[in-house]
Amino acid sequence: MGLLSNLLFFPVTGPVAGIKWSLGKVQKVVEEELTDDTAIKQDLMELQMQLELGDIDDDEYARRESEIMGRLRDVRAWRERLGKATSGGPVRVARDTDEE
Amino acid sequence: MTDQVAESEITSLPLSDGGRYVYCIIRSDRQREFGSIGIGGGQRVFTVAYQDLAAVVSDTPIVIYDPTRENVLAHEFVNETVMREHTVIPMSFGTVFRSEDDVTELLRSTYQAFSDVLEKMQDKIEFGLKVLWDRDKVVATLERENDEIRRLKDEISRHTTTSTYFARMQLGRLIDSAMEELSSRYVSDIHEALKPVAVASRSNKPIGDRMILNAAFLVDRAQEQAFDDRVKETSRKYEDVLAFKYSGPWPPYNFVNIKLKLEKAD
Repeated sequence: MGLLSNLLFFPVTGPVAGIKWSLGKVQKVVEEELTDDTAIKQDLMELQMQLELGDIDDDEYARRESEIMGRLRDVRAWRERLGKATSGGPVRVARDTDEE
Repeated sequence: MTDQVAESEITSLPLSDGGRYVYCIIRSDRQREFGSIGIGGGQRVFTVAYQDLAAVVSDTPIVIYDPTRENVLAHEFVNETVMREHTVIPMSFGTVFRSEDDVTELLRSTYQAFSDVLEKMQDKIEFGLKVLWDRDKVVATLERENDEIRRLKDEISRHTTTSTYFARMQLGRLIDSAMEELSSRYVSDIHEALKPVAVASRSNKPIGDRMILNAAFLVDRAQEQAFDDRVKETSRKYEDVLAFKYSGPWPPYNFVNIKLKLEKAD
């Protein structure tokens, strides 16, 4: 059995498993990209810096800020959809549920 | 009573019973008011107390606040105002509790940690220091003053090297490492100059490619003038090559690390 049965009875196992694996990996990468806001926050800080240094004016700042806010909202929406923790929004002190 | 007043009462009713935006935690045994300076268009800022601790809050609808400049400045401005009279533990931007009871529960359950940190932060303030340089200017100086770099650059321009491509690569690497060395020397000089007048310091990741230092310093209020003088003195020393961006006093954002056990409230 084992390898032989794979070869004899399930000739497509190899490629299928391969595809599954890479799809799973792609999905993970996509998920991370959709839900990671580190780069967006970095962009926001850079934008802030540019305004403080006088490299851009208030109008330019406002325009690019609203674009960044849009990206932040997208990430938040994806995080919620994928059941990940989000920052912002109402919170409360975590009640200890396992009080044995 | 006019219609207008009745109307504004109706719209304010759900608010006063609604969420609370929390700016910071202070020690205070009496009710305090800080004026109509809160986030979301000048909300009234007041305190919610638990024993001798108080949370500085304003009313808010249950929303997620985007970290826009306007919102962040409102959050900052409240903390700056409160800081004039109190030692504060700043909350992170956008922290909204569903009710006043939830705020009281926060103070009750984290009482000991808040008290300890307030004691440690008593009369301490934070200053931010960002140091930037002009890369082109620095490269030009290096090309003038660093013998090895100047020699290689001359060879490339006179085509005396056999391979201009590799010579250029080597030149790039030389410049990079010379810049790195220079930048870490500046950074450690600045730290050395400020260390005697600060309680603690923390370096954060530089923002953008012109910044070589992005640091926060915790300073005793009694040392504020001394710290200020030292920063100015140091910035004058380097005024030809470095630009100092100095800000504060801030609440000790970079030196308070309380991990709150908060969960999403739906």
